Amino acid sequence: MSELTYAEIDQTVLDTLSPPSGGYWLLVMVLILGVLTGAACWAYQIFTGIGVGGQNIPVAWGTYLINFVFWVGIAHSGTLISAILHLFRAGWRNPIARAAETMTVFAVCCAGLFPFIHLGRVWQVYYMIPLPNQRLLWPNFLSPLIFDVVAISTYLTVSALFWYTGLVPDLAVVRDRSTGLRHRIFRVLSLGWTGAHHQWLNYSRGYLFFAALATPLVISVHSVVSWDFALGVVPGWHTTIFAPYFVAGAIHSGLAMVLTLMIPLRRIFRYEAIITMNVLENVAKTIVLTGLIVGLAYGTEFFIAWYSRNPVEMESFYLRVTGEYAFGFYFMALCNVLIPVLLLFKAVRRSIPSLFTISLVINFGMWWERFVIIIGGVAHDFAPHSWGLYAPRPVEYGVMVGSFSLFFLLFLLFCKHLPSVSMTEMKETVSHAG
Amino acid sequence: MPADTQLLGLFKDEAKAARAIQELAPAGFQFRRAHSPIPSHRILEVLKLTKGPVGWFTLAGGIIGFFTGFALAIFTAVQWNLIVSGKPIVSLIPFFIVGFEFTILFSVFGNVVGLLVCSRLPDYRGLETYDPRCSGEHFGVLAACDTGRKGELMDFFQKKGGEVRVFE
Repeated sequence: MSELTYAEIDQTVLDTLSPPSGGYWLLVMVLILGVLTGAACWAYQIFTGIGVGGQNIPVAWGTYLINFVFWVGIAHSGTLISAILHLFRAGWRNPIARAAETMTVFAVCCAGLFPFIHLGRVWQVYYMIPLPNQRLLWPNFLSPLIFDVVAISTYLTVSALFWYTGLVPDLAVVRDRSTGLRHRIFRVLSLGWTGAHHQWLNYSRGYLFFAALATPLVISVHSVVSWDFALGVVPGWHTTIFAPYFVAGAIHSGLAMVLTLMIPLRRIFRYEAIITMNVLENVAKTIVLTGLIVGLAYGTEFFIAWYSRNPVEMESFYLRVTGEYAFGFYFMALCNVLIPVLLLFKAVRRSIPSLFTISLVINFGMWWERFVIIIGGVAHDFAPHSWGLYAPRPVEYGVMVGSFSLFFLLFLLFCKHLPSVSMTEMKETVSHAG
Repeated sequence: MPADTQLLGLFKDEAKAARAIQELAPAGFQFRRAHSPIPSHRILEVLKLTKGPVGWFTLAGGIIGFFTGFALAIFTAVQWNLIVSGKPIVSLIPFFIVGFEFTILFSVFGNVVGLLVCSRLPDYRGLETYDPRCSGEHFGVLAACDTGRKGELMDFFQKKGGEVRVFE
C-alpha cells in the first residue's frame, strides 16, 4: 500500500466513477424492483390495516422490529471503523472507512423506516416528535421508545454529517479532475474546498471532535435500542446485560456486512492495492473478538437465568433451546459464535471465499439472533394461557425484500457516483508510511 | 505599495514547500495561503499554527444541547403532571438519556458550524487563485508581491524547486 503514489491513488478511485456497464444498470433495475415490491407491500398494509402482517397478541413485534434492530446493528460498525479506530490511529481502517461510513448512513435510513412501517397509521408519526399542539400532548420522555426516537434521529444526523464532512476533500479531487456537468455539481458539493492550510487546520480538529463525539454516541444508540426490551418485564428481555450484549452484537454484524460489501467492491473496482489482504484480515480478527463477546453474552444469559432460580426466567431459556423457535437459537449460536471461530486460523482469514462466506453466515445468524430475542420473549411470557406463536406473512417478507433492496441499491449508486475510498486518508497513510 | 500580483508555487515535495514558506517573508514577499492534498503538519509547524478554534464551537453546542435536552424533557413532563409507572414527574435519570443525546447532537452542530466558520466555507472565490493540481500530488504556496517584483518571486519559487503559476 505504501508503494502507491498520490496520483495512483487518485486514478484508482476516480476510475471507479467512469460510466457504468450495462450489468450495473441491470442490477440497479433489479434492486429498484425489490424496492418497489417493498413499497407496494407497505402501501397494501396502509390501505388494508396492520393486521395483514403476522403480528398478534402476544407477539406484537414481528419482523418489522427484527429488521429495525438488524439494520441499526449493521450501522454500528461504520462508526466503529471511522470514529473509534480513528481515535486509536489504526491505519488499516483508512481504505474501508468511507464505505463503512456510507453503509452506516444507509443502514440507519433503512432502520428508520421500520418504526414508521410498524406504526400502521403512519400519518400519525408526528406524535413521536415534540411538536406544540392544541391538545398540549407531548411525547413521554420516560418511555424507552421515545429514547429510541431521540437516539436514532441523533445517530442518523451525526453519521450523515460525519460522512459528508469526510467526503469534502475528496469531492474537491473529483471536481478538479472532471469537466462539464459533473464538475459543476462537485464544485457546489465540495463547498469551494481548496485544501488551504487554515481549512486543514480546522478540518483535522473538527474531524477529531466528530470521532470523539460519535464514539460515545454509537455505544449509547444500541444501548438505547436494547432498553426497548430490557426496560420491559418480559422474561428473556429484562436483563442488565442487554446494553453491552446488543452493542457487541451490532458491531459483530456490522463488521460482517463490511466484509460482505468490501469483498465484491475490491474485486469489481480493482482495489486490491488499496484494500489489501491485511485490511480484510484485520476486520476478520475483530470479528473473532466480537464473536467471542457475543458468545459470552449468550452463555451469561443462560447462566443468570439458572442462577436467579426464577422459574419464569428458567422456563424462558429452557424453551429457547427446546421450544418452537429453538432452530433460531441453534442458527444464531452456530453462525455468530462457532463458525466465526474458524477465523482464528490464518488460512481461513486470508482466503477471500471463506471470508465472504463467513460474513454472509454471520449476517444470517445475527438476523436470527434478533428473531430469537424479540419473538421468543413475548411468545412465552409469564402465564401459559397468554402464550402464542408468530410467523411472518407475505407482506412482511415483501417489506423485508424492499429494505434489503433499498440498502444495496443506495450502496450501488454511491459506489459509482462518489469516491468509495477516501483518497485523502489513503494519501495520509502513504505519507506516514513513506 | 499594495501587493497586486499573486503567484502560486507548486511543489511535489512537502519539505520544499515548507522551506519556501519559511523563506518568503525574509525575501520580502507576502505569504497568502498554502494548499495541500493532505493535512500537512510540516507546513502548519512552519506557520506556527497548532490548533484551530473549532473546539470552542463544539463545546458551546454541547452545553446548549445538554440543557436543551433536559429542559425539553422537564418542560413536557410538567405540562400534564401525570405520574407514569410511579416515577417522579421530573425523573432525572431517564431524562439524562435525552440530555446526553442532545449534548452529542448539538455538539456536532456546533462542530459543523465551527468548521464552516473557521475554514471560511463555502468559499468559491478561493478557487480563482487555486490550481487543481493541489488536490492531487502538489503542495501550493500562494504569495503576493508588487507587479514590479513578479520576476523575482518567480525566480524565488523556481530556485526552491517549484513550478510557478501567475494570477494577475
